[in-house]
Amino acid sequence: MRGFLVGLGAFVVTFALAHFVVLNAVPGKIMSKVRERMMANGLPMQHWQMTPRVSPENQRVVRPAPDLAYAICVIDLTDGPVELDVPSWNAYGSLSVFSARTDNVYAGSLDARAAGTPEIRRVVVATSKQDVSAAGDAEIVRVEQPEALALIRRLAPTQEAYDAAAALMPESLCKPL
Amino acid sequence: MKWIALIVGCIFGVAAGTASALAAAGILGPGVRLGGVVNADGWQSDWTVGSPSANPWTRAYIARRGLLALTKEEAVYFTRAKDDSGRQLTENCTYRVSGKAMPALWWSVTLYDATNYLPENTDQALSYDLTKATEAGQAENWSFITSAEPPSEGNWISSRSAGNFDLTLRLYKPDAALIDNPESVLPPPSIERLSCRSQS
Repeated sequence: MRGFLVGLGAFVVTFALAHFVVLNAVPGKIMSKVRERMMANGLPMQHWQMTPRVSPENQRVVRPAPDLAYAICVIDLTDGPVELDVPSWNAYGSLSVFSARTDNVYAGSLDARAAGTPEIRRVVVATSKQDVSAAGDAEIVRVEQPEALALIRRLAPTQEAYDAAAALMPESLCKPL
Repeated sequence: MKWIALIVGCIFGVAAGTASALAAAGILGPGVRLGGVVNADGWQSDWTVGSPSANPWTRAYIARRGLLALTKEEAVYFTRAKDDSGRQLTENCTYRVSGKAMPALWWSVTLYDATNYLPENTDQALSYDLTKATEAGQAENWSFITSAEPPSEGNWISSRSAGNFDLTLRLYKPDAALIDNPESVLPPPSIERLSCRSQS
């Protein structure tokens, strides 16, 4: 009987430990794999890259929205903060930043029709201890780990709208501060 | 004897704990939602998606099924996998999806297969949205057909090669009232099953 209770106790403790260790590791692992896959596909670090118009043939992440034009920047803050400059859009649009744990730590409107949307949205991403005194009037986004992702979404349900969104990319910056 | 029981308990505990975590995340099986679930007539969402306050089960589930989702102030996502009679949506059947004006700046409905991807077809009919509804003069009262073959007329989302599927309703820049009280403010679109192909 005592042996059974010892075994049961060991089961309960290790079950709980393994469950929460694995559960907490899943988002970071998935995000890490997505980053690795993007870079393996030629996506450079700290550089905006427009993804092809979403279709069944080119889905990079689960549940992509086919009505949106996406641009992504893989961020590594190891050597310092990163600056994002993104022009506004004449329909729904957003600039968002995701932490290594998949949290959406920042979302700013790019919709030029919405009150308060700047012509160029300027954001500086940094870890909690990095100096951002050179950021000027940029919005500051703090993350815990140096790995992050930035994403531009622009409503582009037609090829013409997608092309117009692509034409804005030369004006968009994702670079060390 | 106690040592053997201890070792066996640990081995089974680690295995079961790991398997249950992967199952909760949807890596093994459909996944589990714990807390934060919003249910508007079968359209399900989770207001903690993308948020640092999300519990570890939601965080793992969304990482697997909706990576890079925005927080509710920017966009909300409702998913439904069953028709109005509670039957699983399948490409073998034809459905009429109908809805009213949505409490958001812009909305879309997109079909995803059981693996959380767009179905592998070339029909170029992956979604329906406010832009298409407005062009059709239906912004206030819209409807479309979901089927594996195109309808003779009207708006269409193709379910060809989707198998069992679900529909995701995205609302961008949702009204504050929707965020505060989603289950009473969202006019939930209906999914009416019209017919099914016979199974050979």
